[in-house]
Amino acid sequence: MSIGILVLLVFLVALVTTAIMQQRDFGLVLQRFIEQFGVLVPRMLVALIAAGFIAQIIPKEAIAGLLGEEVGLLALPVAAAAGLVVPAGPVIAFAIAAVFAKSGASTPALITFITSWSIFAAHRILIYEIPLLGISFLRLRLLSAVLVPLVAGLIATMVGLLSSFGGTDFLQ
Amino acid sequence: MNSFKFLGNPTWWKRVVASAFGISFWGFCAAAVAFGILCFSLKGGGATQTALQEDLHILFNLMPRVLIALSIASLIWVMMPRDRMAALVGDNTGLRGPMVATLAGAVTPGGPSSSYSLLAVLASSGADRGVLVAYITAWATLGMQRILIWDVPFMGAEFAVLRFVVCLPLPILAALIARRLPLTLQIKDQVAATPSGNKDAFK
Repeated sequence: MSIGILVLLVFLVALVTTAIMQQRDFGLVLQRFIEQFGVLVPRMLVALIAAGFIAQIIPKEAIAGLLGEEVGLLALPVAAAAGLVVPAGPVIAFAIAAVFAKSGASTPALITFITSWSIFAAHRILIYEIPLLGISFLRLRLLSAVLVPLVAGLIATMVGLLSSFGGTDFLQ
Repeated sequence: MNSFKFLGNPTWWKRVVASAFGISFWGFCAAAVAFGILCFSLKGGGATQTALQEDLHILFNLMPRVLIALSIASLIWVMMPRDRMAALVGDNTGLRGPMVATLAGAVTPGGPSSSYSLLAVLASSGADRGVLVAYITAWATLGMQRILIWDVPFMGAEFAVLRFVVCLPLPILAALIARRLPLTLQIKDQVAATPSGNKDAFK
């Protein structure tokens, strides 16, 4: 069992204990669980299958040449730009990330890609941010956060020098 | 217990099934089949079989992760006091403000409809720009919901933990930048709270 799963399990046990102590309504928890499971899992499965085929079709060398370990820090701006141009929800963004991982993208590049997508996701900006807060907030937020994906990748690179924790080898 | 009554409600089950196999599911299905055919015609049966075998292997590893992650996400969703969060975040200034906002952003359950409504409430109640930027950046990069439901199943639990730790200080960095940027900020005044629906996770 991986350390990541252990961390999650400990977290889960802590939450369940708290919920029991606060006498929370587990009916609501189960309801939310089943509803989310229904929405997520079928899409997740077909997206992963599609990602598996795409990873076979696209030339792995091309992806590895742009985002791989050997490219080093230069992979980070490429990954940030890739995250910027995915104007879709998490199913597609993470399916693309899985394809990148299978093609040999480095962990810092993957972190930069996902972080960049999560900050800039265009559909969210159009549906929520501009209607609710307006253009001037959008401008402020984007300028403030534009470096975040790159800094995330840099920190991940430094962590990578110390340990191989967080790798996605199991996908390859 | 009375609160488990929904399990015997056929309308509720119908709704769950309907949202599970909606248009976007069939869209992804069609894409998977199309790429499968493309893979078969370009790379032949061997590569297609390898892809399917790998998928099977990944799916097998995926299920326990999905179950744990979804359990945590559901618990957080039920336990988080969304109404009290705005007051908690908005009251803080200095460096404490962005730090509390980061924490709140990370644990805000639900998709963008809940986080952006809360952000709009914060903005209209006069929270400073550092707090606003920290909150929404934290929700985007550190949101537990997203990390649990998407990072964990697709990229593995270790990767998810690494990404969370790496991104932890960054909303505060963004807040400090936001406070120094010479931009005028004009927030729209109307606060339209959209009900958080089931499709939320897909935005």
